[in-house]
Amino acid sequence: MNQQTPERTGVSGASGPPSATGGSARSTPAGPGFVQTADEVRGSTSLRRLLPFARPYARHFLAVVVLVLLANAAAVAQPYLVKVAIDQDIAGPHPNPQALVGIGALYAGASLAVLLASYAQVLVLQYAGQRVVRSIRLTLFRHLESLSMRFFDTNAVGRLVTHVASDTESVSQFFTNFFLTLVRDGLSLVMIVVAMYQLDARIATYCMAILPALFVISAVFRKRLRQRYQTTRTRLSNVVAFLAENLAGMRIIQLYQQEQRQAQRFDELNRAHRAASRAEYRLSVLFNRSFELLGNVAVAAVAWVGGDAVLHHTIPFGTLYAFITYIRQFFQPINALTQQWNTLQSAGVAAERIARVLAVQPDVRDPEQPVSLADLPDLRGHVQFAHVTFAYQPGRPVLHDITLEVPAGAFFGIVGATGAGKSSLISLLVRFYDPQEGVITLDGIDLRRLRQADLHRLIGLVQQDVHLLSGTVADNIRMFRREISEQQVVDAARTVGVHERILALPDGYQTRLFSKGVNLSLGERQLLAFARVVALNPRVLILDEATAHLDSVTEQWVQHGLRAVARDRTTLVIAHRLSTVREADCIVVLDQGRIVEQGRHAELLAQGGLYARLYERAGVEELADRR
Amino acid sequence: MGNPKWLVRAFFREHWRLYALTTLSILASEAVAVQFPRLLGRFTDALQAGLLDTQAVARYALWLAVVGAGSVALFGLGQQGNGQLGRSLEYQLRRELFAHWERLAVTAFYRRPIGDLLNHALNDVRAVREAFAGGMNNLTNAVFLLVAALWMMVQTVPLPLLAVSMLPLLLIPACVVHWGPRIRAATRQAQEALSSMSDLAEESFSAIRLVKATASEPVELQRFTERVDDIVRRQLGIFRQSGLFQAAIPFLGALSFAVALAYGGAETAAGRIPLGAFVAFTLYLALLITPLQQLGQVFNTFQRASASLQRLQSLLLEPPEIQDEPRAQPLVQVRGEVVFRIASYTYPGAREPALRDVYLTVRPGQTVGLVGRTGAGKTTLVNLLPRVYDPPPGTVFVDGHDVRSLTLDSLRRAIAYVPQDGFLFSDTLAENLRFGKPDADLSELQAVLHAAAFTEALVTFPAGLETVVGERGVMLSGGQRQRVAIARALLKDAPILVLDDSLSAVDTATEARILDALYRLRRGRTTLLVAHRLSVVQHADWIVVLDQGTVAEQGTHGQLLRQGGLYADMYRLQALQAEGRA
Repeated sequence: MNQQTPERTGVSGASGPPSATGGSARSTPAGPGFVQTADEVRGSTSLRRLLPFARPYARHFLAVVVLVLLANAAAVAQPYLVKVAIDQDIAGPHPNPQALVGIGALYAGASLAVLLASYAQVLVLQYAGQRVVRSIRLTLFRHLESLSMRFFDTNAVGRLVTHVASDTESVSQFFTNFFLTLVRDGLSLVMIVVAMYQLDARIATYCMAILPALFVISAVFRKRLRQRYQTTRTRLSNVVAFLAENLAGMRIIQLYQQEQRQAQRFDELNRAHRAASRAEYRLSVLFNRSFELLGNVAVAAVAWVGGDAVLHHTIPFGTLYAFITYIRQFFQPINALTQQWNTLQSAGVAAERIARVLAVQPDVRDPEQPVSLADLPDLRGHVQFAHVTFAYQPGRPVLHDITLEVPAGAFFGIVGATGAGKSSLISLLVRFYDPQEGVITLDGIDLRRLRQADLHRLIGLVQQDVHLLSGTVADNIRMFRREISEQQVVDAARTVGVHERILALPDGYQTRLFSKGVNLSLGERQLLAFARVVALNPRVLILDEATAHLDSVTEQWVQHGLRAVARDRTTLVIAHRLSTVREADCIVVLDQGRIVEQGRHAELLAQGGLYARLYERAGVEELADRR
Repeated sequence: MGNPKWLVRAFFREHWRLYALTTLSILASEAVAVQFPRLLGRFTDALQAGLLDTQAVARYALWLAVVGAGSVALFGLGQQGNGQLGRSLEYQLRRELFAHWERLAVTAFYRRPIGDLLNHALNDVRAVREAFAGGMNNLTNAVFLLVAALWMMVQTVPLPLLAVSMLPLLLIPACVVHWGPRIRAATRQAQEALSSMSDLAEESFSAIRLVKATASEPVELQRFTERVDDIVRRQLGIFRQSGLFQAAIPFLGALSFAVALAYGGAETAAGRIPLGAFVAFTLYLALLITPLQQLGQVFNTFQRASASLQRLQSLLLEPPEIQDEPRAQPLVQVRGEVVFRIASYTYPGAREPALRDVYLTVRPGQTVGLVGRTGAGKTTLVNLLPRVYDPPPGTVFVDGHDVRSLTLDSLRRAIAYVPQDGFLFSDTLAENLRFGKPDADLSELQAVLHAAAFTEALVTFPAGLETVVGERGVMLSGGQRQRVAIARALLKDAPILVLDDSLSAVDTATEARILDALYRLRRGRTTLLVAHRLSVVQHADWIVVLDQGTVAEQGTHGQLLRQGGLYADMYRLQALQAEGRA
């Protein structure tokens, strides 16, 4: 009797091998999957759509089937060997003790075959399954990165990460656990049935009566178990969310002396979780016990039917023994098969989500016959906007009929209030979006005739908030491009004046940064972004100046870096500081999506328009001189 | 009090009767379970000897069913009991943890990431539960089943046969102990690889503009591929271990069976043991596989639980850093005088002092503004007052008493504090406000919301005061959060009010209205206004300018402007920015 304990601890001999997600399906033997949704119906279609990813590994999957056949054949042969031993050599008319050594060796050999075949089957299957998921992940990631900004504007990053990480993981369960169970347990069920019929058709038919009962019990329980498991999980996550929030807000709790009240709230959640967890456990024990009970009753029933048959000499005793073994072997594959039903469902939902993302087409696309960069040996960086109108949502343009010419090598400042359209203007220039009307050209070439990759090599962008990627300082400057040498990195840092600061970091250029970049100051981050642009060396530079308050020393330092970057390139700066635009070749004043003024600092002041009004009223002349 | 070992012991003492019962029940179940093979063996012999008729066969079958059902039911009961007890312990441990955390000083949460603490509350507690639920089941089950099965076997077959057949089985617990930790370690590594990939994906998608603008898609794909390849490698690493392990256990069982078949079969054929004994013996061998496996698991479970208990222990034994001093006095009849005499204050563990030479007196009823750049030390200063951080003795005084000589309870009751981020809890607006005064009625809530200029915003929420604000108040905008936090503090109606840059996300018009209400409501009572924006402090009785941790200037708005120093500088710069925004 195999006493299955629902509270499996440590490594158990459970059917499915563990995986990185430590999937729920294995932490409890009656492992529930995800909540059922309407997506499931389309899920199986989507799974089929993912099959092409598996095609290159068809041979591996075939090998797994062969290995499973081998292992199962050997496993099913074992009770038969025992039957032969009992009926011929032990209890037969001519007992033969010597022959038993041979049979014992055969039995051991069969076991060894099972061992080797199962091990090989796990390795081959997992190899294939992991490779399939790998290629799904890479395809998905490449696709996501190719999508245009509109997609990222409307889809939360967290959800995209979920697609790449956990949806693919669910799908991988389909290619590994589900496939294996279907093949292995499905086959062993079939083979057991065949073997039983071989032995005695009448008793075998009796045994078949138990099959539907088993499936029904298993299916009913699993559905309920899944619901209870979900409840427990939800309540546990409530507990965790409460803890996370309250630990973060502990200062407030203590300052307002609400410790008791919050402890009471916590107690409520904690109790709710305990109740759910107990209910779940109760059901899972009930399920396992009923399965076990059914197993024992089945053995008794076989003893009854088979015993009668032995009594009437319709079958020898060995056959009865084999039947008792087979009926016990029935339970394991059925249990495993119903368990995998959940895997199939969650994999289907995940596949549907993945397929939906893969079906999204990028708004901004490369032309079919792009202008080759090789044909344009030296671009000068002459930028022109001609009657450009742009809206994020149809009918609500944020830029109206913008016409602007930036000569090669010029330094242009763009100023205007929040919402005037400054950021939209520069987003168009890097083709994060395409305008609805008008044309933007670079040295006379429509941007839409260039490949995006080429365009982005020609036009560099420094954003307001500097994104650092996890890697070393040097990697961040060269953007992980191996073709940019250490020397070029150092030169770029020197040019913008951040070299000394980098050397002062614990590991200099090899200091590891984190994505949030907390180990660098605001000014250092800004300068690092400048160095990045110098290293990548684009012809045209667009810079969205950081608004953050910098102290005056840092401010000067950043301004110096900015001038170094702007040298020898066409530069457009969204300026938040007067010192940035005072020396500009041209200042463009935007207001409500239109260019209202344009000219040098002195000219605009003389004009007495919006720019001058702001400037004078604030009394900045004096301030600017102080710097 | 909080020692978990003590807790666990107390738990045992409290529930020993139930534990005794579950143990007994499992024991009884095993005693019944081992009858099953014996019954089958006797059935075999009787059948062979031709002693049975149809009725007797049916009787045997019935007995088999009864024995089978009995053992299953008894085991289920014991299992159930242990499982429920384990869940009670889990609940108690979590309750104890939270109560302890509420007593700790806030600094304790800065030292350790909250994620770590959650990990303790989740995984360590679960590991202990597993030991007390599943672990107990397995232990009781394994020990009794082994003993009982062995006892039955000794009676069934000769000892040499038993010993030789058992040999391969003895390796099973060793396998579990050997592979268990290895597989777990490999799984953890794979999980780390997976989260490293998720991190990269998140980083890359968040920086998508940078990635696109620098044409770095291929580079990012390359970095992503490295992570994905690492996952593949680690996953296969798990299966190299677990695949072998999962194949090895049945193999050892089969090996033992093969020996029994050859050796025992020969003995049976030679007539030295009856066929029924042989049949029972082979069934007993199969019976042994599970408990032997469980023994190994129990070893692993208890080892893990003891490590978890150790961690929980060191967590719960951490003493609260900020608590009442031995002879602390309550603060009564607060006038609201605040005095700082700080020669130097350094955060625990920091090298550079955060504050130097801060000597300030706030007279009862005064409104004092504290301004300065980010990092000037404003927040540090006001956090020393309610002892969020402990000031050195003799440096911070309320009504002439060193704050460290006062009871925490009375000190904090005297102070209403508004944090910069306007921290709210995921509850209704009303409940959040009642943090300030648990028994406040509706009209009081409305009054403070009005003072905090939140009345117009309130009507935009269909559920009104019953609106649930979401985790940390995410359903509200930054400015709305700050205003609710101000209302919460006003509801507390304490002698001293501290606003820690709590108007930074509020527009200037609203700011003026709130300040108006503040001056009206707080007339005659002490108010400390920390601000980055100077318009907030302009009308304060006194303004203190902090720079690099020390007092740079102080005076009234007019005085400071005339001085033409840092304050005047900041004022002009902000005026310009305000125009730029307008």
